[in-house]
Amino acid sequence: MMKKKIYERTLEDYREQAWGCARDNWCMNQWGWNVKSSRYNEICPEFRIHRSHAYSGMGKFHITRALLEGDFDYTDSSELLDILYHCTSCGACEMNCLRLEEKEPLKAAEALKYRMIELGLAPLPAHQELIKSIKNYDNPWLQPRAKRKDWTKGLKVKDVTKEKADVLFFAGCTPALDPELTHEAVNTVKVLTKAGVDVGVLGEQEICCGSPAIRLGDRDTFFPLVKRNIEMFKQYGIKKIVTSCAGCYHVIKYDFPEVPNVPDMGGIEVYHISEYLHKLLKEGKLSFKKQMPLKVTWHDPCHIGRHCGIYEEPREILKAIPGIELVEMERIKDQGWCCGAGAGVRTAFPDMALTIATERIEEAKETGAEALVTSCPYCEQNLVDPIRRNKEKLKVLDLTDLVLEALS
Amino acid sequence: MMAETKKVVPARIPEEAYKALEDIVGPQWISQDRAVVETYSKYCVDRTGYLRKHMKDPTAIPAAIILPGSTEEVQAIIRVCNRYKVHSIPFTNGQFSINAPPTPNPTLCIHVSRMNRVLEINEENMTATLEAYGDYGQLQAEAMKRGLWNGGCPLATTLCKLSSQMQAVGVWQTDLKYGTISRNIISAKVVLPTGDILKLGSSSVSGVEDFWEYGPGPDLLGLVRGSVGTAGVVTEMTVKLHTWVGGKEMPEPPAGRPSIRTYYEQKYDTVSPPKRHKLLWVEFPDYETEIKALRAIAHSGVGIGLNATGVYNSYYCSQTQELTLKRVKEKFFPPYNLYVILAGITSERQIDYEEKVVRAIISEVGGTFLTEDYKGDVLTALAPWNVDCIRHVTGFRMNRFTYAGSNVPGGSVDDVAWITRESLRFAIDKFGETYITDRGGLDDTPFLYAISPYGRFWLSETDVYPDPMNPQMLQRADALVFCGVTQLFAHKCGPGANGIGVSLEPLTSFFPEHGPNAHLLFRKLRKAWDPYNLYVAGRQVFTEEEYKAYPQAIIDAINQMRGLCGMKPVSKE
Repeated sequence: MMKKKIYERTLEDYREQAWGCARDNWCMNQWGWNVKSSRYNEICPEFRIHRSHAYSGMGKFHITRALLEGDFDYTDSSELLDILYHCTSCGACEMNCLRLEEKEPLKAAEALKYRMIELGLAPLPAHQELIKSIKNYDNPWLQPRAKRKDWTKGLKVKDVTKEKADVLFFAGCTPALDPELTHEAVNTVKVLTKAGVDVGVLGEQEICCGSPAIRLGDRDTFFPLVKRNIEMFKQYGIKKIVTSCAGCYHVIKYDFPEVPNVPDMGGIEVYHISEYLHKLLKEGKLSFKKQMPLKVTWHDPCHIGRHCGIYEEPREILKAIPGIELVEMERIKDQGWCCGAGAGVRTAFPDMALTIATERIEEAKETGAEALVTSCPYCEQNLVDPIRRNKEKLKVLDLTDLVLEALS
Repeated sequence: MMAETKKVVPARIPEEAYKALEDIVGPQWISQDRAVVETYSKYCVDRTGYLRKHMKDPTAIPAAIILPGSTEEVQAIIRVCNRYKVHSIPFTNGQFSINAPPTPNPTLCIHVSRMNRVLEINEENMTATLEAYGDYGQLQAEAMKRGLWNGGCPLATTLCKLSSQMQAVGVWQTDLKYGTISRNIISAKVVLPTGDILKLGSSSVSGVEDFWEYGPGPDLLGLVRGSVGTAGVVTEMTVKLHTWVGGKEMPEPPAGRPSIRTYYEQKYDTVSPPKRHKLLWVEFPDYETEIKALRAIAHSGVGIGLNATGVYNSYYCSQTQELTLKRVKEKFFPPYNLYVILAGITSERQIDYEEKVVRAIISEVGGTFLTEDYKGDVLTALAPWNVDCIRHVTGFRMNRFTYAGSNVPGGSVDDVAWITRESLRFAIDKFGETYITDRGGLDDTPFLYAISPYGRFWLSETDVYPDPMNPQMLQRADALVFCGVTQLFAHKCGPGANGIGVSLEPLTSFFPEHGPNAHLLFRKLRKAWDPYNLYVAGRQVFTEEEYKAYPQAIIDAINQMRGLCGMKPVSKE
């Protein structure tokens, strides 16, 4: 495997992998041991919809090889941008490809996205708006910075810019600014407080973690955000960060250290809320009092699941809540089906995002579950769409919704 | 040495033809975009494909890709191709190269990926019907829910499509009991290169149940089987199902599931066999003893699968290439080995009985079982086979560094075992190896697998692993494989290019050892199937014109290899 930091690598660094792509097709299909039905055997949302091998990890490797060798030019294809940006960056391709071939199709594709941006050919217009918003407002939602702390109104929570706290809760742009998702941030603070955690927030000073930018391949927007975030964490003496956004977690914990020429994180511990709640559960600091008779199924957010290995913690939390019956979908954990929102797909291709989410809802319904539980604002946002559209009975809940209710 | 940076511009099919094709499937299911066609231009085990990339060969790239959604759309596509004289090739997942990518002419690639359903599981008749893109994973998952399965999975992986396998090499690990895919086909629907739809087997007679396997007379299914994709597009097939006692789902590793960060940890591959299945691993002091044991166990009638694995263990059971090389160098896995798969199909006690038989044979022949106490670490490392023997996944770990060709002799176990080894030794002595693992089969046992009940027929395999970025190594790999194949003909090792009846040019026309006029017969058949020579031209057999036009330089190279292997030269006359 390459020794260079991920974000020091150029597209050329993936030449050997691109040449060596074996066309084994595992980037598109569920690991064979885990296939439980003919219907849910595939794992790549892009390929699932387009059915062309171009729209896959393998396809992008083949394209990368040809571009690097000059077989064709970046402007010779009218479908190249679609091929790149119809990918949700779920990582399913990389999961199976690493396990079999030790190759990194997702990272190569992100490097190709960056190359397209460097050449002025990307990202797509819809994404350009998103990037502009991050640059101008420190969030992708075109919301003024002052609104960043609105979600904390009525909550007793420390402002770490003014007083120390043991744990920084990093809310993330989407829960902080989307009224439909604010409950994730609010409930997380309430749960942590109930568990006796000394928690604080950055409030108005919190800025985007950079995940939307880097998943679009935009290193130039991402790198300054990384630097600013790390400097801020250090400025306020942060030792522990907990976030309920899967994207923020993945990026802060695993992508920040891969950026060149930024300060070291200095040993700051980074947790996803499911991980942290699991830790509290094991320490006996969470005591579930209320019976909650509900059949649920857990949707593994890609950015804490196969990207980071958090599978069992949320499941154990759910099983610990009295009355909860956990049933599993077919495609779970490392083979989980993506919600369809990631890497700007929901922004630029809402129909595609809806199709992917609809398939997940169908899969959830087949378990007989009454609720689909997850812990990622993008997942929740995207999975609710088909439910609303088709007037489904299935509920989509955040993990903290259940935990908070069970604690009361 | 890298090729100069000049663009590679593939040819196009006529605009009217493209428009007519677009009218069949709709614009979203056809493309001639440069990036899209690139992704169909190199297959899996494909040293020729890699070489053509180094040579910047535009004919390696299809002119367009089309994705039909039904047999009727496939038929309409073929008819348009005939009307406009457009060449075409069928495509499933490109997993196995049979010198497959396009002919010199602008070629339409017919990708059947939209036809991916298991259409029916008939529990009463014990059959399953699936579309062209249906794979072993899908089929097994649906059948196993009902206490049935198709009887095997190729070593290539569960992603293989049965429709391709029936036309190439459909070999399963459990052929000892169930035979190859060719012995398990009940019926098939094929769109011929003429544009006719041919129903074979049971489906040739409307309204009958699935009963047909092979009658006493001629059967057209035999012409499609092993035709390497040249007989037409198989759009549907029905296969036999057998009793499955291993549970509805495959077992999960106790350690759970890996993540992108922990993909390399052995514990995620450490899994138990399915219920009522057991693998026994045996090591031997030498090759002869191993062969004796294989023969004896096959003849005994016990077990559902019997294979010797050699260097494959180092690949399949190693989670990183670093570990593969370490294990090869340290000879971590026994060089002479076999595994036998026991299944308690009739009862749990069937495994106990069959195990006794195997132990008695090994006691007589000589050999040592791997156990927790004897080479327990090796046994643990071999754990992926516990599920892979039924539903194979790890096969293409061979592609970490890059499996690009193989020799697959077929025949009796003795013939195959020794011819494989000697052919490989001969080839490596002449040309050198491309990578240390080319020696798999020389320094240890080659792959040996019983592919028919009682071991009437065996397959062996040795492979080459050239660096795909190094054209010299790719050429050496080509020489090694070609030398190996020529050796098989020299040793009269079974029919066809690989000892299993599959025939490809230039072997069909320039190796009369196939049978003196095999190429003439195939040529006549081709004229009936494909009068315009548009469909997969030049793959199985040359037309008269292609034969006459075949470059003398290549024939000279063939004769050079033939001479090296002690065979008389051939000529076009």
